[in-house]
Amino acid sequence: MTQSGLVSSCARAATAEEAAFRIDYPLAAARNTRVVALDAAAEEIVRRVSQTQWAQARFYSTVDPGHSLLTMSGETVPLAGELEDSNTLVLVSTNGQNAEAAATIGAACKVRGIMTAGLVVTPGQLTSQALFALRPHARILLVPAEEDDLFELLRATRS
Amino acid sequence: MLRTEINELLTQTGPGTPMGELFRRYWQPVLLAEELPENDCPPVRVKVLSERLIAIRDSEGRYGLMDEFCAHRGVSLWFGRNEEGGLRCPYHGWKYDYTGQAVEVPSEPETSNFCANVKLKSYPLVKLGDVLWAYLGDPEKQPPLPEWEFITVPEGQAYTSKRLQECNWLQALEGGIDSSHVTFLHSGNLDSDPLFKGSKGNAYNRADLKPFFEVVDHEGGLLIGARRNAEEGHYYWRVTPWVLPNFTMVPPRSDHPVHGHFWVPIDDENCWAWSFDYHPTRRLTETEVAAMRAGMGVHSANDENYRPLAHKDNDYLMDREAQRRGETYSGIKGIALQDSSLQESMGPIVDRTKERLVATDAGIIKARQKLRKAALALAEEGVEPVGNRAQDQKVRSVAIVLPADQPFVEGIGEAMIAKPGVPQTTV
Repeated sequence: MTQSGLVSSCARAATAEEAAFRIDYPLAAARNTRVVALDAAAEEIVRRVSQTQWAQARFYSTVDPGHSLLTMSGETVPLAGELEDSNTLVLVSTNGQNAEAAATIGAACKVRGIMTAGLVVTPGQLTSQALFALRPHARILLVPAEEDDLFELLRATRS
Repeated sequence: MLRTEINELLTQTGPGTPMGELFRRYWQPVLLAEELPENDCPPVRVKVLSERLIAIRDSEGRYGLMDEFCAHRGVSLWFGRNEEGGLRCPYHGWKYDYTGQAVEVPSEPETSNFCANVKLKSYPLVKLGDVLWAYLGDPEKQPPLPEWEFITVPEGQAYTSKRLQECNWLQALEGGIDSSHVTFLHSGNLDSDPLFKGSKGNAYNRADLKPFFEVVDHEGGLLIGARRNAEEGHYYWRVTPWVLPNFTMVPPRSDHPVHGHFWVPIDDENCWAWSFDYHPTRRLTETEVAAMRAGMGVHSANDENYRPLAHKDNDYLMDREAQRRGETYSGIKGIALQDSSLQESMGPIVDRTKERLVATDAGIIKARQKLRKAALALAEEGVEPVGNRAQDQKVRSVAIVLPADQPFVEGIGEAMIAKPGVPQTTV
């Protein structure tokens, strides 16, 4: 068997020894995630999470009906501009407020092919207004989510 | 991605490790009952959670699981003689009963009490369904016996198999939680596998290749709902339960038997993939059982040591022509081997610091978080983990069509609760 044949065999390729030869390089740039709080309680959560050092994640609250966003420092910025180089958007809701903004943001993401996730932070409740507000617009929902889940999602996706 | 220390925390299950101690709070399947088929049958080596053990069925039908090695000189008791109420080491004749207690040490005087002080470490081993279950933890913390539905249905309604998977248990478990891979990896099987085909749900699967997911926190673990478009104003939901630490079920299709898995660590680089099928209300047909024995559905065709006939040494019998014809998506035959071939290809313990998860991996992300928290809560605060209560275990997967505005947890109602004699909710 040739050397290339050996490496091509699953038995050899799947060993820990061979794993050591995996090429070590950055797989891709960090994910450009936008995190949007849809209500005041959600904003508190997002603000706390935003204080951690993130690669390229940016954090906002909403200005109804969602065509603009409010940065954590209070600056109003247009939604379209903030989505320009984004590829993931996370909506956070605790009570279902600003459903119209969720719809606006969700539609904008859909047009741009941006992955949308939703965190429904309603401790102990499996169904809630927040769930109904996010459901049409989030390809994946965490229900009921905790503050930790936002950290974990951002960390796991290298945001 | 995971930090190195978290990856190690989740993947190491030997004695004294946080995840190992978590596993030692649960009854785990360790042998098929067929492996100890009769009284005084040959002993069987068992390696589980990085412990080398020997299992016996004694002259009275009692099951025992104990340290594999004789207390005298460290000989493997696999060579022992299982007879007359115990397992005798062939080297010098030391004999142990099913609890690991030495009952004879021939070199000692007949009146010696030496044996009373020699006891191999042992664990309870009980038969429930077609499975022998072991509990490797603190005897004072021993939970009630398991009540999973597949081991409580009447005889003839369940079939269980196991296969060796040559990678860490977490890689295998994560495949069970990850509903999104079905659209690709198993797409060739939905219409051909006798245990899957004929379901209306398969058409929904094919018509909507980009499902939405809802990951719902549940008392025993998680419910992962995958929703696809169905008729106007309706969604087709497939709901996968995960119960800590290592139980998953696959949503049903049509009236086929329901199936699921346990992923049990052998050591940190190997696990047993346990696969079961059962029907809540009827006996399995001969055709169904024949298909399962042949490796269809979630099962695999194995050798006498429960290693799949298609394995990494023969490149899983990769068939590129079948792949081109569309019979299989990956070129590997059978759902079980389609999964294990890819999971083993990641290496014995995948380096999760290098992975690149996406938002639709939220089920995996959440499961890791729950495992980590449960292991650390047990290790640092003595908090007992969830998953051992009857209500955690009396769970079912569900396939259902619901109005678009109905949350699946509300729509499935009690369909996810296992009730004797009540059929599964399926499409």
